[in-house]
Amino acid sequence: MQKKVLSLILALLMVVSCGMLTACSGETDSTESSDSGSTEGSTSTSVGNFTVPEGGYDGSEVTITFWHTMGANLREVLDNYIAEFNEIYPNIHIEHEQIGSYDDVRDQIQTYLTTGDQPNIAYCYSDHVAGYNIANAVITLDSLIASTESDGNGGILGLTDEQIDDFIDGYYAEGSSFGDGLMYTLPFSKSTEVLYYDKTFFEENGLSVPTTWEEMEEVCRAIKEIDPDSIPLGYDSESNWFITMCEQYGSDYTSATTDETGSHFLFANETNYEFVKMFRTWYQDGLVTTQALYGAYTSGLFTSTDGIRCYMCIGSSAGASYQKPDDGSFEVGITTIPQVDPDNPKVISQGPSVCIFKSDNEQEVIASWLFVKFLTTSVEFQAEFSMTSGYVPVLKSVADNEVYAEYTAKADGYNYVTALSAKVCLEQQDAYYTSPSFYGSSTARDQVGLLMQQCFVLPDDNLDAAIESAFAEAVAYCEENS
Amino acid sequence: MNYSVFLTETDSSSSFLSVLFQNWGEDWIYHCLFPLLLAVLAYLVLSNKRHKSLAWAFLLVPVVLSLLPVPSMVCMVVSIAAAVLSYLLFADFTKKDSGTSSGMVESKQQWKAWLYLAPAIVLLLVFTVWPIINTVKMAFMEGYDSLAALGGNTFSYGMANFNTVNSSATFLRAMKNTLLLTVLTVPISTVLALLIAVALNSIKFLQKPLQTIFFLPYVTNSIAIGMVFSAMFNVINLDGTSVGVNSTVGIMNNILMFFGFDPVNWIGQGSSYAANVTVMVIYIVWNALPFKILVLLGGLQGISKQYYDAAKIDGTSRARILWRITVPLLSPMLTYVVITGFIGGFKEYSSVVGIFGDTMGPPAGLSGGTMNTMVGYIYNYMSGAQVKYGVASAGALILFALIFVVTMINLQVSKERTHY
Amino acid sequence: MSDTKGMREHNLHAEATKAHIWTILYQILVYAFLFIMAIIVLFPFYWMINSSLKSYEEYTLAVQTFWPKQVMFSNYAAAFEKANLLQLFANTTYVGLISTFLSLIITVFSAFAFARLEFKGRDAMFGLLLATMMIPGEMFTITNFQTVSALGWRNTYQVLIIPFLVSVFYIYLLRQNFMQIPNELYLAAKVDGTSDLKYLWKVMVPLAMPTLITITILKMMGSWNSYMWPRLVANDDAHKLITNGLRSADFTDATGSFTNYPQQMAAVAIVSLPLFLVFVFLRKYIMRGVSRSGIKG
Repeated sequence: MQKKVLSLILALLMVVSCGMLTACSGETDSTESSDSGSTEGSTSTSVGNFTVPEGGYDGSEVTITFWHTMGANLREVLDNYIAEFNEIYPNIHIEHEQIGSYDDVRDQIQTYLTTGDQPNIAYCYSDHVAGYNIANAVITLDSLIASTESDGNGGILGLTDEQIDDFIDGYYAEGSSFGDGLMYTLPFSKSTEVLYYDKTFFEENGLSVPTTWEEMEEVCRAIKEIDPDSIPLGYDSESNWFITMCEQYGSDYTSATTDETGSHFLFANETNYEFVKMFRTWYQDGLVTTQALYGAYTSGLFTSTDGIRCYMCIGSSAGASYQKPDDGSFEVGITTIPQVDPDNPKVISQGPSVCIFKSDNEQEVIASWLFVKFLTTSVEFQAEFSMTSGYVPVLKSVADNEVYAEYTAKADGYNYVTALSAKVCLEQQDAYYTSPSFYGSSTARDQVGLLMQQCFVLPDDNLDAAIESAFAEAVAYCEENS
Repeated sequence: MNYSVFLTETDSSSSFLSVLFQNWGEDWIYHCLFPLLLAVLAYLVLSNKRHKSLAWAFLLVPVVLSLLPVPSMVCMVVSIAAAVLSYLLFADFTKKDSGTSSGMVESKQQWKAWLYLAPAIVLLLVFTVWPIINTVKMAFMEGYDSLAALGGNTFSYGMANFNTVNSSATFLRAMKNTLLLTVLTVPISTVLALLIAVALNSIKFLQKPLQTIFFLPYVTNSIAIGMVFSAMFNVINLDGTSVGVNSTVGIMNNILMFFGFDPVNWIGQGSSYAANVTVMVIYIVWNALPFKILVLLGGLQGISKQYYDAAKIDGTSRARILWRITVPLLSPMLTYVVITGFIGGFKEYSSVVGIFGDTMGPPAGLSGGTMNTMVGYIYNYMSGAQVKYGVASAGALILFALIFVVTMINLQVSKERTHY
Repeated sequence: MSDTKGMREHNLHAEATKAHIWTILYQILVYAFLFIMAIIVLFPFYWMINSSLKSYEEYTLAVQTFWPKQVMFSNYAAAFEKANLLQLFANTTYVGLISTFLSLIITVFSAFAFARLEFKGRDAMFGLLLATMMIPGEMFTITNFQTVSALGWRNTYQVLIIPFLVSVFYIYLLRQNFMQIPNELYLAAKVDGTSDLKYLWKVMVPLAMPTLITITILKMMGSWNSYMWPRLVANDDAHKLITNGLRSADFTDATGSFTNYPQQMAAVAIVSLPLFLVFVFLRKYIMRGVSRSGIKG
């Protein structure tokens, strides 16, 4: 009996020690990467983690997979341009797939990375890429952009200076916002925020369109007097609001590298407390509402013609078609959102970029690069994609493209609101900023949105202390979850 | 397919010893322990003197495997299988009474039994045994993160994950919510179930239909009906400014106002914690009643009528009958109901999702969800941007420890109070 | 003397009447209590049907109505479409049927092995099996998630079926049932030269049929109600299961400005209906299985 028990205990111990056996260690020369997602390039000969092979693209037959979130009509556009691409490169076969939402793409890639089945190219946000970088899965594009090797079609692999210039600066810079100066993504198609307003109402009541936040407050209060049941301003995304205000005030939000305290999350500071407090007063006075607090997209309030409504709405430029009333009862005006400093405007840029994943076959990477380069530097593609999707092209010269120019010329506040939105986006293209991307930046974004909501509904007593503690909690949560 | 999750990689070009140590990496101490234990086990079983060569083979196979660059998972599974099988086959069993039939131990039956059990055992090994071991391991790997593992990070062993969990405000809130909900719902639902079961047992007319009615919540989908409860308690305000101006206050509030009370913001934005907890308690109790009623009713029907007849002759009051006779005779059932109630309470998750949705709390509530539970906390780390399985595993272990301790306490308490 | 006897009789009579009155009062109390509780239990179901038949405007009235003024059966059609219920039903039924079938086979064989066959370590093994029931499922989820990802089973049917084929509880239940079947039958069959399999199929399964039906029903209910695991591993449209689909369905109206709650309620009603029907017709089996120390699914 005793022997049985003893041997059973020993068997158990053995089992436990076996459990300890399975070390999940990978290569022994692993890099201790810090949270900033920066990678010490394992090759020292070129910049970043990819060296362009001699001879560039050698014409070999490859199949590239591309994961995106495009709907049916956009996929049609893509197919047309794939056909064009294949006329130049008949050996590169592109297989593309719609995965769902951006989060679905991220989740699926994270899973497939573990089995090595990730795609070659994917739609991404820079937040996602920060995560992929922890797994060292994304190619740095610097060596490709600078490469003078052959592209298999009489040109060079890299981008010429004109091509680089043609990219809208803010969008191009987003690709290297990861803290190590290396470039991981190219912008694909972008959107931004714009201010939609009821032009008819403004003209009827002699209101001027606000360009600063002080003017915005004045206009809101004026509107409130004219129509006390209304909520003058609807702002869909609290996260965007917070981050944009940080940018406009020049105060800290986050940083891709850690500061002395080791934190990425720097948004708990005086300036931010102040503007949150100011907007809270607006909310309590019934001047503004947001998507979460209202319970649905504020565009519904903007387009409603009876009952409670709003007369101004700050929302995505890609959502222009939702911001016009069905019966055309008023003219929609679109302009840049209010600024703290009108001479130094800052507007957020969102929307997909593309990144290229590592592959054992170098030619696959080269072929992926060729395809990405084709789509992002082709004026026709950018123009057509933008007109079909409502997103904004990433190249400056699209504005001069015939078809596109015709499109924007038609812009008006009744039926061609999408074109009007595109026009405004082009006009404000110098104002685009991007936020740092690191492992945890998407948590930060979600948390500051929640923070705005929480602060808006705080009661009056002990307000300053309450705001400070809400901020501190948000920072703590971000720390925990990154 | 790349089993990088399980593999240790080796570079086979160097000498044997360096291969050995490279394969083992930082775990060399465990790799030394492992053959040692096998040797001790070998001594024990081999003193049996039967099947000597077979036993040696059994025990050498995992040893050899661990020295080769074989995936650790395979090595581990083989070792466990060898350990268990060798214990069963070679350990010195004294003639034991084997239960129902007149023990014929045919070796043919042995193999057949294992054959019948094979699919179940394989599935259990992969989806139950391995997860337990892996969860324990991951909980002790500091800061284990799936993406970082792919990127080639190594993780040291230590208690850091547990520290993260314990110092996390979200976790503490989740634990508080879980405990509060459990402590509130288990007594309420048990007492209510007891009263209903006793009442049901004492009537004849309409007993079957009423029984059916009370069992109805059991067959429903807790997420789906959660949405109904959410609608019942919800306050829909369409103006977005403040809670005061509503377009509808919801049926519960209508009922309250009918009785002269003020409407309450139950689960909407800005609702109080007490209101949230009240709604959750009502919903969880509603869900838990059918099962408890059924078990208790079954127990009641098993109590012999003689006890009641004797009590009636003595003229005992009904309350006394309930307290002195029914409850003690019912105590095994009550114990069972209370224990499963506690275990279920700790694992509460889908009820909260059913009522509040993925935010696990009212909108604009606290980070991570005002009403988040421990299971919800664990699940937070499983999908989305964060893939920190180490922290999730640590949380799961803490949850298990909590359930285990509470169950043991329950069993201990009930041992004294249960009369069979 | 006759006076005291009469008085005693009178007293007894009075007491008997008093007791009788108490009994009636007590009965009334009990029925009242039960009726009130029954109403409370039934109220959400009633509210669900009530809301699902209303139009949105009526639903958002300040004072709720107890029966819709205008019955909108169209809500159900809309719910079917918006939540893609047909696809969800198909997925869930498919997964439920296959996993129940396979699980039954495994359970029958395992229970038979534990109940009838003699082999070393049988009791130890069974004890270990029962011990695993105490461990919370969340401890398994994380690793299983990693395992199925590594195997490439995300967004497939096998990931929804295979990990849960073995349910220790059902093996336990069936084993108890098998053990109640007298062993003499088995020995007699062996003498006749019947193989184990034939005996299993021809004798034990029919005798244990009620339990098997219970297991089938509970397993299918489990797959109908499963939420967390499918959500983690098979969340695409082709494989989404019904609870997950219901939760994530988008009931906002065309302008996207509000959620159409009546349609949402209609979807919930449709989803709850099959289980309700199963319950009504097969109540006996479910309740029996649950009362034998039941755990749902």
